[in-house]
Amino acid sequence: MGMKIRSIKYILKTSILNASRNRLMSLASISIISAALILFGVFYLILVNLNYNISVLSQQPTMQVFCLPELTDEQVDAVQTEIAGNEYVESFTVVSKKEAFEQLKKYLADNKQEEGGSDILSGYDESFMNVSFIVKVDNPENSELAATEFLSFPGVENVEYSQKTIDVIQKVSNWVKIISIVLIGLLLVISLFIISNTIKLTVFARRKEINIMKYIGATDWFIRWPFIYEGIFIGIIGAIIAFVLVAYIYSLGEPIMSKDLAVFGGGFATVKFKAVCGTLALIYMGISTVIGASGSALSIRKHLHV
Amino acid sequence: MVEFINVSKKYPNGTVALKGINLKINKGDFAFIIGSSGSGKSTLLKLLMKEEAVTEGEVIVNGYQLSNLHHKQIPYLRRGMGMVFQDFRLLPNKTVYENVAFAMEITECIPKEIRRQVPMSLALVGLSRKANAYPHQLSGGEQQRVAIARALVNSPALLIADEPTGNLDPENSWEIVKLLTEVNQRGTTVVVATHEKSIVDAMKKRVIAIDKGRIIRDQQKGLYGDEDTEYKIYS
Repeated sequence: MGMKIRSIKYILKTSILNASRNRLMSLASISIISAALILFGVFYLILVNLNYNISVLSQQPTMQVFCLPELTDEQVDAVQTEIAGNEYVESFTVVSKKEAFEQLKKYLADNKQEEGGSDILSGYDESFMNVSFIVKVDNPENSELAATEFLSFPGVENVEYSQKTIDVIQKVSNWVKIISIVLIGLLLVISLFIISNTIKLTVFARRKEINIMKYIGATDWFIRWPFIYEGIFIGIIGAIIAFVLVAYIYSLGEPIMSKDLAVFGGGFATVKFKAVCGTLALIYMGISTVIGASGSALSIRKHLHV
Repeated sequence: MVEFINVSKKYPNGTVALKGINLKINKGDFAFIIGSSGSGKSTLLKLLMKEEAVTEGEVIVNGYQLSNLHHKQIPYLRRGMGMVFQDFRLLPNKTVYENVAFAMEITECIPKEIRRQVPMSLALVGLSRKANAYPHQLSGGEQQRVAIARALVNSPALLIADEPTGNLDPENSWEIVKLLTEVNQRGTTVVVATHEKSIVDAMKKRVIAIDKGRIIRDQQKGLYGDEDTEYKIYS
């Protein structure tokens, strides 16, 4: 049977009135939902950023093959011949000792203020640097195979490629997932419990009215809806608070991440909040509605015998 | 309108409240149901409203066969009957008008209809001037009249009153009974469960006496009971 607009108006009015009637419990419910969703939002944004970095890195088919510093020119040429003949190599460029030394000097100069400004390179020349080859692999998927082969060449000291970083990020991301699922799951269960208790109080406060409604022929759902909506209302208010706070936290955190997480070589790419806020809002709406409604449903099943 | 066919009711705790009840109340009737507490009178009313289900037999109310009435149908059964209780059961935070209108709101009536019916119903019980008062501002008799207005606002075919005068002084009791008679004269079937000897005796309406789960007397134009049966019922 279709619900009429007037009934919806009555039901909405009642549910909001109910929520404001037992303010303290509603407040507790809203806070706990907010807390769960804020935690969820923070973890979610961390994961989004980690995944974004993985995707950025896996777009880069380049790797750098470092020769041992003590190699003679002939030995370096031998490595170069091997690389040139390798099936995975699409193209490559050579970084000479001198170029590497210049890059290092430039990097140190750029970061002078932060590094303390000492000229640690004075008195050194380029001889301790490695000759390296920047290799473009035909396909990022072959990075690991190619790297293993390059490492087997005599005179190759190390191979750096993005897959290594990806592996680290993947590991971090997996841990973040596990921790967040456990924590958020726990908080959501608590929210469910508190919401259902809030609704229980409303049911209790209105038991006389409910009884009268039953006698004068109100349908079960006409009696139930205000409680369901009260739960959803609490959930959504919690979600809105969480969303605003997460947006604020992220606006503070994003610059810090992009600057201080440069540990992953080439810098940490961050996602703008604008790019994720739509999805996050949808997820928030979904979770808060489901938790709010099921919290009430739980309570109604137990305490509202219509 | 109301028919009990060989009805028995046994509660899960083993109490047998009603045994082999056969009863027929026709459209337009006015009937008193009398009996001491524990006689089975309340159970009979609960079966009528489908608050309880029969253990055996069949109850037919307003065309509904209650034994196989689906749970979802119960509200519609109840919309066809008005109910009045000893304790009035008004909502304290709603005005007289709102209390009566509430019965129409829950049946999803259109506002225009509500604005038309509620004043008519209040006029019928003589409370038009108290429409904006709250229940606590009214006397017991007035509160019961509001309850009757609410019971009648959806124009039910059947009005059930459970000890409607139980909380009222004699004067107010008479007012209520007179009102119920008026309602009956307008064509509504009225069933009143009561203890009140003076009223039953004065009205000379149909009397259905219940004791220990059985109908012991069903009499047109009856009295509460002769001295003997009366003492039996109360002892």
